[in-house]
Amino acid sequence: MKIIEILTKIDRRIIYLILLIAVIVPLLFPSPEKVRVMPPVEKFYYAIDKIPEEKALIVDFDYAPQTAPELDPMGFAILRHAFKKRIKVLVLSLYVQPLGLARNALTQVVAEFNSAAQTNADSIIYGRDYVFLGWQVGPILAMLSMGESITNFYKVDYYGNKTDTLPLMKQIKNYNNVGLLASLSGSDIPKYWVMYAQNRFGLKVGAGVTAVSASEFYPYLQTGQFSGLMIGMRGAAEYEEMIEKNLNIKSRKKASESLPALTYAHLVMIIFIVIGNIGYFIKRRKK
Amino acid sequence: MKRTIPLFLVFIFGIMGIIPFIIPNPIVQGTDEFVRNNLLKILAAFALILGLGSLLKVHMDKIRRRRQNWGYSWVLIISFIITSIIGLFGGVAGTGILPTTIGSFSFDVWTIYFNVEVPLGSTMFALLAFFMASAAYRAFRARSTEATLLLASAFIVMLGVLPLGERISPHLPSFAQWIMEVPNVAGQRGILLGVALGALATALKIILGIERSWLGGGGE
Amino acid sequence: MTLFFLIGIFALAPPTAVRAYDTPDDGGGAVTIEWQLSPDDAQLDKYEIYRSEDGVDYEKVGFIGAGRSRYEDETEDGKNYFYKIVALMNTMRIFSQPSQPVMSSAQWINRKKLNIFVALFIFGTFILYFTYYARRGKEFFIRKIAGLQAIDDAVGRATEMGKPILYCPGIGYIEEIATIASLNILGEVAKKCAQYDTKLINPHLDPIVFTVAREIVKESYTKVGRPDAFDPESVYYITDLQFAYAAAVDGIMVRERPATNFLIGWFRAESLILAETGASTGAVQIAGTDQVSQLPFFVTACDYTLIGEELYAASAYISKEPLLLGAIKGEDWGKLIIGVVLIAASLIGLLTKFPVLNLFR
Repeated sequence: MKIIEILTKIDRRIIYLILLIAVIVPLLFPSPEKVRVMPPVEKFYYAIDKIPEEKALIVDFDYAPQTAPELDPMGFAILRHAFKKRIKVLVLSLYVQPLGLARNALTQVVAEFNSAAQTNADSIIYGRDYVFLGWQVGPILAMLSMGESITNFYKVDYYGNKTDTLPLMKQIKNYNNVGLLASLSGSDIPKYWVMYAQNRFGLKVGAGVTAVSASEFYPYLQTGQFSGLMIGMRGAAEYEEMIEKNLNIKSRKKASESLPALTYAHLVMIIFIVIGNIGYFIKRRKK
Repeated sequence: MKRTIPLFLVFIFGIMGIIPFIIPNPIVQGTDEFVRNNLLKILAAFALILGLGSLLKVHMDKIRRRRQNWGYSWVLIISFIITSIIGLFGGVAGTGILPTTIGSFSFDVWTIYFNVEVPLGSTMFALLAFFMASAAYRAFRARSTEATLLLASAFIVMLGVLPLGERISPHLPSFAQWIMEVPNVAGQRGILLGVALGALATALKIILGIERSWLGGGGE
Repeated sequence: MTLFFLIGIFALAPPTAVRAYDTPDDGGGAVTIEWQLSPDDAQLDKYEIYRSEDGVDYEKVGFIGAGRSRYEDETEDGKNYFYKIVALMNTMRIFSQPSQPVMSSAQWINRKKLNIFVALFIFGTFILYFTYYARRGKEFFIRKIAGLQAIDDAVGRATEMGKPILYCPGIGYIEEIATIASLNILGEVAKKCAQYDTKLINPHLDPIVFTVAREIVKESYTKVGRPDAFDPESVYYITDLQFAYAAAVDGIMVRERPATNFLIGWFRAESLILAETGASTGAVQIAGTDQVSQLPFFVTACDYTLIGEELYAASAYISKEPLLLGAIKGEDWGKLIIGVVLIAASLIGLLTKFPVLNLFR
């Protein structure tokens, strides 16, 4: 009886404490793990890799700081990939909150490349190689309006420059000049990109999403509505693996470093579920 | 009249939402753009003012009547006023008319955002891991065949996502991937279709005036 | 002779069969140009697109990579344009023959979307058909939905315990169908609260939803003859930040200790935070959402969960309004037809060579 009590009624604070230790220790002593790259991430990688010279990549940062641990590494990896291949990049956010995260990612990645650049041609120059469009009111508004004209909707960029004066925006007019849109989101936004931008204008969309919402995006991957899918920290780690292997980009792999913490957290949950079920079966048998 | 005008407006704007999808003509698209780019933005701004007014009224009333925990209402109102002044006059990155730095200490809106809102939001989100653990422990029992199947799939997918899963078996990640791509997608598609059709039907009902409970007080 | 031989080796072959036409199914302002690739395509750097309004003076309007034979140009409606395609390799360039003149114009119908319009029409017809019969007095059966059956008991429990009811409509905007469905249920719950004199707490994330909800609750109180009992401050706006809202609602649950929590609407990651906190206070919880990723959390932590369309059917279910029940019936018939079409299309696609997928593109 006592065993059943212990097994089925463990105080939730004990569970929290054990989980806390399981997550904190690997983060304090990080050791990046290698992962096998799965097809959805591979598709995403090659979808970006194959963007033609005359087209741009739009990266939509649409996650709050809360989901940054999963999605930030994706943003960094995609920007590194694009800048290494000299793909033109437009960055935007459909909400205000992610703007700081987008700016942070751009600033860091551009600084990485420019610190290693020897010439102006090697450098990543604002207005020539990338533009930070920032935010405007109304996510659906943005999706529909950019199909007609990006500079009409984003009249000024994040820094206050008139977008129609920027060299890059003279080439990239609307979705016809965009090779892929990578939507990094902790919510349904990738689906809205498919609904509004892809259905109406034929825009190709790739999605980077949190692990908890992954299951609802698989149907879109299977039908080809998503050109690729990155899921959670594992997906980010796989993309980091791909850019290191294919493009020799050596940088800090935040997602890969966090995988051990994820591993132990999952193990703790599995152990507690098993303990709970053992207690449940003992109780059932006694009845 | 009180109910007819809103019903009429909903019908017109509902049809205006569908028509531009099928008619690409610039007259129709231009009208659609005007409604979306202008009217809706103004509406959203006014609704925000109403919401903020309500928020302040609730808390000031709590202070006035000394209701339970009224002290926290002061915290809210003072924080609201300070952040509003800093944001409105100090500018987003300290570029406004109000200076937002004292020496090397900066208190512009971005600083407040990164040092207050981001950690608080992250803390709340971090609770999820713990709540998930306690909810899983409390509720995930192999009570029936379906529940057992669900538990087994959950274990496979949880382990398959991790590098540890590859060490247990090199086929585990692929099997986990198969579970996500085949049975999961089948179930998701069923729910998605139902939800999409339900949403379509609800939207049609509202546009055609069959569903009127959003007007308040019932379906008459 | 040698000169001609050298020219023969080093000259590029131009792209051929340049065809320009008004881009179909659009609002005008676009011309599509197609061409046959140059035989030297593998060596080319790119193609450039040149345009003229008089067939004499050409200017460059764009470029496209080698291996591609289609380009869409932005134009002014009502003007004639001529196009040439230029093949480029290093500094060598060769022009194609010009295209026929082309004029762009706006179309009234996007033919590619007609299949959606047809499907919408068929579906709408079913709904109107059954609504018509409902109006004529025909009764329709709707199966039991446990979560909705429990609303009366849940409100009764709160009344007996003298504790409030918390109604959380989620974090969706007014355009979310789940939010509209939630507001419909809020109206019914508010009516019961008014009848039993139970306190209602209704916090909101979106100012527009808050505005609508306040009117709905006020009307509900008026409808049952208790306008005096309506407290405007029972429906209030908190914040538009997801987790700040979750923290506020958690605080309400822990301080006010409602007997019943309704978590009905559009939720994201905060769903488990709300549900688990509510469970820890001992409240009865009725949840409902169309967000598939949040359903497992609600099922785990709540007593009743409305899944997907059960939420949309709630208004009809609670009010038993014949028109709404008729609409549900029409919806179900529409789903049946879609199921039959999917199975038939799958079989046709598997067993024959008929391009059945084109019907759905």
